[in-house]
Amino acid sequence: MDSSTQKIWAWGGFGLFLVTLPLWLTDYPLHLINISGIWIILALSVGLLQGYVGEISMGHAAFYGIGAYASVLLTMKGGLPFWVSLPISALVTAAFGFLIGLVSLRLRGPYFAICTLGFGEIIRLIFVNWRDLSGGPDGITGIPAPTPIPLPFGGAFAFDTKMANYYLIYTLVLLTVLAMYRLIYSRTGKAFMALREDHLYAECIGINVMRYKKLAFLVSTFFAGIGGCLYAHYEHFISPYSFTTGQSFDLVIMVIVGGMGTIIGPILGAILLTLVPELLHAIKDYRMVIYGLMLMLVIIYLPHGLVGVWQGIRDRFTKSAEEAEG
Amino acid sequence: MLMQQLANGIVLGSTYGLMAIGLTILFGILNIINLAHGEIYMLGAFVAYFLVVLWEVDFFIALLAATIAMGVLGVVAEWLVFRPLRDKDEINYFIVSMGLLTFLQNLALLLWGTEPRSMALPQASETLRIGEIIITVQRLYTVVIAVGVIFGLHFFIKHSRMGKAMRAMEQDREAALTVGVGINEVSSFTFFLGSALAGAAGALMGSLFIVNPIMGFGPLLKAFVIVIFGGLGSVLGAIVGGLILGMTEVLGASYISSAYQDAFAFIILILILSFKPTGLFGKR
Repeated sequence: MDSSTQKIWAWGGFGLFLVTLPLWLTDYPLHLINISGIWIILALSVGLLQGYVGEISMGHAAFYGIGAYASVLLTMKGGLPFWVSLPISALVTAAFGFLIGLVSLRLRGPYFAICTLGFGEIIRLIFVNWRDLSGGPDGITGIPAPTPIPLPFGGAFAFDTKMANYYLIYTLVLLTVLAMYRLIYSRTGKAFMALREDHLYAECIGINVMRYKKLAFLVSTFFAGIGGCLYAHYEHFISPYSFTTGQSFDLVIMVIVGGMGTIIGPILGAILLTLVPELLHAIKDYRMVIYGLMLMLVIIYLPHGLVGVWQGIRDRFTKSAEEAEG
Repeated sequence: MLMQQLANGIVLGSTYGLMAIGLTILFGILNIINLAHGEIYMLGAFVAYFLVVLWEVDFFIALLAATIAMGVLGVVAEWLVFRPLRDKDEINYFIVSMGLLTFLQNLALLLWGTEPRSMALPQASETLRIGEIIITVQRLYTVVIAVGVIFGLHFFIKHSRMGKAMRAMEQDREAALTVGVGINEVSSFTFFLGSALAGAAGALMGSLFIVNPIMGFGPLLKAFVIVIFGGLGSVLGAIVGGLILGMTEVLGASYISSAYQDAFAFIILILILSFKPTGLFGKR
C-alpha cells in the first residue's frame, strides 16, 4: 500500500469516526463536543486575523454576541426560521465588523488590540443597557432550537437532541474549515501572510493593505456571527455575561496555545481548552488561573503552540528514521 | 453643582493619572505595554485593605507598604515574565501580559471571592467645606498624595542618576547601551517605579471606593485611554489626560447617562485613535 492510499484510508476512517461519534456517546460528553464545535468556529475566526494577518482582536466576544442577539431577535421577534436568520445574523455581524474595521484597522499591533477591546466593551455595555432589545443583564431565555427540516416522506428532522445538534454544528465546523482553507491557500491568503510578515514590503509589491485587512476582518466577523448564532440556539439562553472581554481573551488563548498561523492550531486549542477543564474536575475552579499560566509559558517557551510541539516531535522522528536508513 | 462635579473629577482624574504614568513609562522606556498593570493596582488595594482592616495599621503606612510591595512585585514580574522575551517581537510582551492579567485576576478571585470590601476609614466620612464644594478628607488626601507623588517622580527622573539612565534609554536604546547604561537595572527599576505607582493608585482608590478582585480592569482600560490620549510615553500627557478623563466621566455621568459612564472613556479612545493616533503630547 503506497502512502497516498494509506492517507485516504486514514482520512476515511477518521471521517467515519466523526460521523458515528454521537451513536456511542451519552448526552453529557456529546454536549461538551458540541460546545467545542462552537468554540472551534469562533477560534478559527479569531485565528484568521491573529495567525494570518497578524492582528490580535481582543473584542471578538462582542461580535459573536452581535450574531447571537441578531439571530434571537430575527427568530423570536421577527418570526423567521433559523435557516434564514443564520446567514442574516452572520451578515449583520459582518456589517458591524466592517464599520468597526474602518476605524480600528487603521491601527496596528497593540493599538489595534486595544481599540477592539474598547469596541468590545462598548458593545457589551449596550447589551447590558438596551433592555428593550437585549433583555438587559437578565438576558433572553427560551430561545428556540433550530427550525426542524421537513423530510420528503413525512415527518421532520428536529434539532431537539444533542445528536441532531452535533450534526448541525459539525457540518458548520466543516464548512468553516473548508472556507478558511480555500481562503488561506488562495492569492488572497498569500496577501494576508505578506502583510503579516512585513506591512511595508507588502505595500511595495502592490498589495492594497487596507483592502485585504478589511476583507480578513469581514470574513472573521462573519464566522464569529455564525458561531454566536449557533451558540444562542444551542444554549437556548444568552445574556451579556456570555460576551465579555474574558471570552475574547479565551479565544486569543485558544489560538496561541493551539498554534498561530495554522488551521489545525485554533481547532486543537478550542478542543483542549473546552474539554480539559471539564474532564479534570479537580482543576475546574482553577481553570482561568491555569489558562493565564499556560499562556505565559507557551509564549515564553513554545511560541508555536501545540502544533509546534507536534512538528518538533515529527521532525525528530523523521531525522532518526533517515539516520537509521542512511 | 458644577464645581462639586469638577472637584470629584479631579479626585478621580488624579488617581487615573497615577495609573497612567506607570503605564506610560513602561511603554516609553521599555516599549512594553503591560496589560497586567490593572491587576497590580488591584493587588495594591488589597495589600492596603488587609493592613488597615486586619492589622489596624494607619492608612498612610498601609499606603506606603502597598506601594513598595507592588514595586517589588513589578520587579519580579519583569524578571520572570518579560525579560525572557526581550529579544523577540514586541507583540509578545503584550500577549504575555495578557496571561499575567488572567493569572493574577483569577488567583485573586479564588483567594478572596467577589464580595466587595471597604476599608471604612474614619476620614472617608469626615467632610470639609470649601466654598460651595463639599469633599471628604480622604478625597482631599488622595489628591494631595497623587500630586506629591507626581512631582516627586518628575524630580527623580530629571535629576537622579537612575532617572537620567531611564531617559537615555527612552531616547536612544542602542546609544544608551553603548555608553554603559545597564539594561537589566533600568528594566527592573522602571518596573519597580511603574508598578509602585499602580499600587499607590490602587490603595488610594481602594480607600475611597470598594476593593474586590475585578476592580483592576476598568482602571487599566482607562489608563490606556489616557496614555493614548496624551501620547504614549508622555508623562505630561498622562497627567493632563487623567484629569480630562476624570472630568469627562463625572460630567458625562451626571449630565448624559450614568449607565454608560464606563463607555465615555472608550468613545474618547476611538475618537482619538481615528483622528490623532499620536495623542495630544505624543512624539511618535
